[in-house]
Amino acid sequence: MSKTYQAIVIGAGPAGSSAALTMARAGLDVALVERGTFPGEKNMFGGVLHRLPSLEKIFPDFWERAPLERHIVKKGVTFMTGDSSFSTTIEAGNYDRPPYNGYTIFRPRFDRWLAEEAVAAGATLITRATVDELVLKNGKISGVSVLGRSGQLSAPVVVAADGVLSLTAKKAGLRQPSFDPAQMAVGVKALIDMPRETIDERFGLVRDQGFANEFVGVTSGVRGGGFLYTNYDSLSLGLVFHLASLRTSGKTPYDLLNAFMEQPQVAKMISGGRLQEYSAHLIPEGGYDMIPELFGDGILVAGDAAAFCNATGLNLEGINLASHSGVVAGEAVIAAHQAGDFSRQGLGIYKKLLDESYVIKDLKQARKAPHMLHNNRIYQEYPEMMCSFMENIYKIEGAPKQNVSKQFLKAAREKVGLGNLLADGFSAWRSL
Amino acid sequence: MNIDEIFDNTSFAIDRDPHIVLDYDICTGCDNRGCVNSCPARCYTWSEEEQKMTFVHDGCLECGTCYVVCHRNAFTRWRYPRGGFGVAYRMT
Repeated sequence: MSKTYQAIVIGAGPAGSSAALTMARAGLDVALVERGTFPGEKNMFGGVLHRLPSLEKIFPDFWERAPLERHIVKKGVTFMTGDSSFSTTIEAGNYDRPPYNGYTIFRPRFDRWLAEEAVAAGATLITRATVDELVLKNGKISGVSVLGRSGQLSAPVVVAADGVLSLTAKKAGLRQPSFDPAQMAVGVKALIDMPRETIDERFGLVRDQGFANEFVGVTSGVRGGGFLYTNYDSLSLGLVFHLASLRTSGKTPYDLLNAFMEQPQVAKMISGGRLQEYSAHLIPEGGYDMIPELFGDGILVAGDAAAFCNATGLNLEGINLASHSGVVAGEAVIAAHQAGDFSRQGLGIYKKLLDESYVIKDLKQARKAPHMLHNNRIYQEYPEMMCSFMENIYKIEGAPKQNVSKQFLKAAREKVGLGNLLADGFSAWRSL
Repeated sequence: MNIDEIFDNTSFAIDRDPHIVLDYDICTGCDNRGCVNSCPARCYTWSEEEQKMTFVHDGCLECGTCYVVCHRNAFTRWRYPRGGFGVAYRMT
């Protein structure tokens, strides 16, 4: 297995395939190396595919061709306790008109399709290939070796799009040797089979409309949250936990997922459904401060590998940032080939282009959000306060009523404490 | 959902050669063992009686949680499975 390419991309996820596609379209001989039997086999997410301006530019009919599920017309947030919930939803006419604001998708289908587009553009896809080592020649990156195979794949430049742990970026000395659990989260997900008509009726949807909901207060005090997304004929239901909080909690992801599924209001949503698949994945939640060195001699880092994930609470973005960084990495490699310079200096355009884009700008703006979200009260006390306050607002039992602000203060005093409420409000405001 | 029935819900191509290898002596001396409760696939079990860690890679979802939560670096090997092996998501 020895061959020379003009570039090697490690990982055929959204970042890697976007990079390979960009390079192949410019005529570069690029290898897209994937450890799964097909691209997307190892990938899962609990989320929504948002607009992808960089890929839309490459193919204007992107949204007609990509394998999508429902487009999201309704988004909600639910504050939940063991037996109560308080929800807010926004359903907008504009969400139901193209260009749609987001879609549910299946990663094994979507990632595979995107990689096939890269292949159609001329990239060479090599599956069942786990990259083992970066190969150096005279101190410079000259290719990669693959676990269990002899020989090597050679190229003057490598794009590390090998996902959240990026063992490649570690080997290149571009990321810290170990991760801080405070900057990582794990998501677990149950894919629940359900007839399309049931989903439409249950969630008030017609045609291809979809619903996306986030939950707070469903993790037994572990920092994290829950999600529910509608696919055509299944529901994606899951939880996300900050690892620093989970590892000391003594609680397990599957027990908490089971408890979530049994919460009375959630149980009604998934009733009659059948568990199809259970999956788990890490999420780089450290934001701007977690970003590694993005480039070195003969190497660029893109996607989750570069911690390009914007998980500030309400909007959860990753695939859009990944694909944009992949496209920009592809452009940087094209420029390096034109200049014949694969040194750190020659590849520096990558960071410059990213700094000017929404990827880095948004992460920079939300820089303080990860710290704000490390407040444990958000995950239990505040949802309890919200539910108790709303429950009392609607309670009519023939006794004289307290005014609303008094009721609010009472719920706040009981569940959170007024001092905490003030301090948290102040830090939340500052982090916005 | 019963985590013991993970193989009924998620498919795997199990490699005999484990992609994660532990130095169990380090686990025995560990003061945290967050891997045991944090692993979403229950690959790690700690026996209080025998003071012994057991790790089984068969149902590993390759998420990397153990890699991040282990603060003692108990791994003599931590890598992804060889190409074509490990977890195979179909439609998640």
